[in-house]
Amino acid sequence: MKPLRIIHGALIALVAAAACSSCTAVGPRPWEKDLMARPEMQLVPYPLQTAADEHVYFSKEASSGGRGFAGGGCGCN
Amino acid sequence: MQLKKRKAGRVGRAISAISATLLIATAASCENSAVAQDFYGLDKAGRDNFGPGIAYTEFDGALLIYQEAGGRVQAIEPTANLAIHGARGQQLTLGAVADAVSGATPNGAVPSDRTQTFVTPLKPQGSSTTVTSASGGSTVIQLPPTPGQVASAALGRQYTTAANTLPMDKGFRDHRAALTAGWSQPLGWISEIGGGGGFSREEDYQSITANVRAAKNFNSDNTTISLDLNGEFDSSFPFGGVPTGLSAMNAQFKPVTTRHKTQLGFVLGLTEVMTRNWLMALNYSYDSQKGYQTDPYRVISVVDPVSGEPTSTLYENRPERRKTQSLFWDNKLAFGPTVTELSYRYFTDDWGISSHTVEASERINLAKAWYVEPNVRFYHQNAANFYRAFLVSNAALPAFASSDTRLSRFDAITYGAKIGFRVSGRSELYVRADYYTQSGDGHPANAIGQLRRQDLFAGTKAAIVQVGYQWKFH
Amino acid sequence: MEIPLAATLARADRDYLGAFQAMATPCEVRVETDDAELARRVTGAVEAEARRIEAKFSRYRDDSIIGRINAAGGRRTAVDAETAHLLDFAGQCFDLSGGMFDITSGALRRAWRFDGSDRIPGATDIKALQKLVGWNRVSWRDCCLTLPAGMEIDLGGLAKEYAVDRALAVARAITAAPVLVNFGGDLVVSGPRTGGARWHVAIASVEKDDALAGMLELASGALATSGDARRFLLKDGVRYSHILNPRTGWPVQDAPRSVTVAALSCVEAGMVATLAMLQGKRAEKFLKREGARAWCIR
Repeated sequence: MKPLRIIHGALIALVAAAACSSCTAVGPRPWEKDLMARPEMQLVPYPLQTAADEHVYFSKEASSGGRGFAGGGCGCN
Repeated sequence: MQLKKRKAGRVGRAISAISATLLIATAASCENSAVAQDFYGLDKAGRDNFGPGIAYTEFDGALLIYQEAGGRVQAIEPTANLAIHGARGQQLTLGAVADAVSGATPNGAVPSDRTQTFVTPLKPQGSSTTVTSASGGSTVIQLPPTPGQVASAALGRQYTTAANTLPMDKGFRDHRAALTAGWSQPLGWISEIGGGGGFSREEDYQSITANVRAAKNFNSDNTTISLDLNGEFDSSFPFGGVPTGLSAMNAQFKPVTTRHKTQLGFVLGLTEVMTRNWLMALNYSYDSQKGYQTDPYRVISVVDPVSGEPTSTLYENRPERRKTQSLFWDNKLAFGPTVTELSYRYFTDDWGISSHTVEASERINLAKAWYVEPNVRFYHQNAANFYRAFLVSNAALPAFASSDTRLSRFDAITYGAKIGFRVSGRSELYVRADYYTQSGDGHPANAIGQLRRQDLFAGTKAAIVQVGYQWKFH
Repeated sequence: MEIPLAATLARADRDYLGAFQAMATPCEVRVETDDAELARRVTGAVEAEARRIEAKFSRYRDDSIIGRINAAGGRRTAVDAETAHLLDFAGQCFDLSGGMFDITSGALRRAWRFDGSDRIPGATDIKALQKLVGWNRVSWRDCCLTLPAGMEIDLGGLAKEYAVDRALAVARAITAAPVLVNFGGDLVVSGPRTGGARWHVAIASVEKDDALAGMLELASGALATSGDARRFLLKDGVRYSHILNPRTGWPVQDAPRSVTVAALSCVEAGMVATLAMLQGKRAEKFLKREGARAWCIR
């Protein structure tokens, strides 16, 4: 159990060091993610609404997909 | 290392979870959250107790009502989704959709300054798609006897279209039911791995889909790269059989009853948290379709080269292969009480179609539990290279031809709004309404004779209303 | 740092022991190290965090967020993220306890003063005050809190345990050395001592100040104690604990003298201990059912 813990600790130190050396990395620091935690900031917060839109546009336009699979799963085209 | 926990009761488990969430979330708003996350064994912050690291279930239900202008298609579609989240990032999703569609749909023929008559196979008795002369504006006709004709198929259905009116088949009615299931979870160094499948059945169509997905988070979870592989296997078994492409429209039952289509594709995705306020996603998709992609009910008029009067009506014909690609760029911006979503999609295929889609929505959280979200969408597409509004009788027949407006050049605009109400911390009710309008060229330069006086663009105008409910629970 | 620090630092066995007074209680932080400078930095950071939380969430200060919320007179108060998380937590605990844990129950303290005396308030006073109690009467949405006029909130039942957990987080950001943070008996350790040894924690007696009721060994996690050791009323032989039932406006009857709970975090331990006390004579049953590691003293 103990050697494992030491290795684990070393790994964390390594990752932390890597994070510090790349201060130009894109994105907020972990404690700046409060807004990203809001449910409405998910890419698809209302899956049934998105599915309905894609279903309608799939059956009325020649383009489909982009957000996800282009298939329609129906013969509505 | 950790306290040996006995089997905790409901309250004990909940307190444990919300305490960890509190400390991680406050560490995030104070400082050094990585330390707290490591210590409490969770890897993401969440303000409520439905965040990552906590087991919960989410139920989504919605009812979609779709109504096209001019008495065309109307659809009612109830849907339900159940997502069961495990404490270690596992997710099981189950979905069900039912669909009832009815109304008139343009059959693809051009309008004429004379009355037009169309014949089509009579759907079998007892089928819910049987059309009576009273309700469907059609009449049952006796077909002229042909050698070897099966007696029971000797009846056809005939419908007429008044002069200067877009020909429509009013016998369109269908039901659909679909089920989906999916699973995903972290596995070793892979942040998310999973797969799923779906089955959809209509009266004349069946679709089976399968997908696998893998995703990896980097850069303190600010970057996610994902790959989705998708497959679809469809079977089309139209009423009256599968017509031969570009053969004359008739009421005979066709000998081929079923055709298939397979589709294989992938989506390569990059999701990036750009700043505290800005989330971005970029997807590249590729799909390859092989098999029957023609609309078996759709026809195309052949017109006289001088008068523009329809002289015959042929079934349409589309290529059996199609390769599509798209690039999708999505942005979500959180400022104050608002969330703005801005997306752009470029789509292109080897049928000659390319399209641009721009969508914008602005969610505004109002005081109390309400929010409003106006949205707008612009769409433009070019025509497929085999799109023809009509064929001319003295010209050679092309290999492929379709007069389907959906394959023509057109613009579409959608505008709408959504109103949501947080019933409690766990549930939300929303209503949204959108209006969709297509506009295209109804008077193309190549129109002949009487066609110059007709509107040759049969685009759609539709209202979309959806009521939905989301409920999260432990 | 604008808050003056006053901690003393002393060598204690294998540890450096930093001590200061905050939140009306003696606070200590033990760092297992030979590095006095490191121990000084950790102690300084812990004290600063304790004073920050005390200043921010004290209900006795007009300039604290709690002071501003309570003085808003029925108007909306916008709160920062940290306060929002604490209010969310308090609200969830209100739901989980069926309204027994309620940060708005402070109004009842205008009638109940737990000073060891026999002054029991009148039933009509309590009835009047009860109209000012109930988290469900509060509007808490979109980072704004609105209290009906006359109501008040008090995070006192939560802030000390929260400060202990926060102090450990602050300490762990500075050092990987084993650390124990103890604010008036609510404590948390960063993990086992060097070499895997456990921390030895004495449980103070509820009867006398200096006597020990027992010894506990702790390798990780937190301990928190809820009890009425020194805060109670005694009348006609009935001992009224300082834990009030917000639903009745009266102290919980037949509660244990103290409940000590071990859990992953001090916030968790403190909340389980508090909910157990609120169960009164069913405290032990509750702790058993919820699978808590706990010690009750009757």
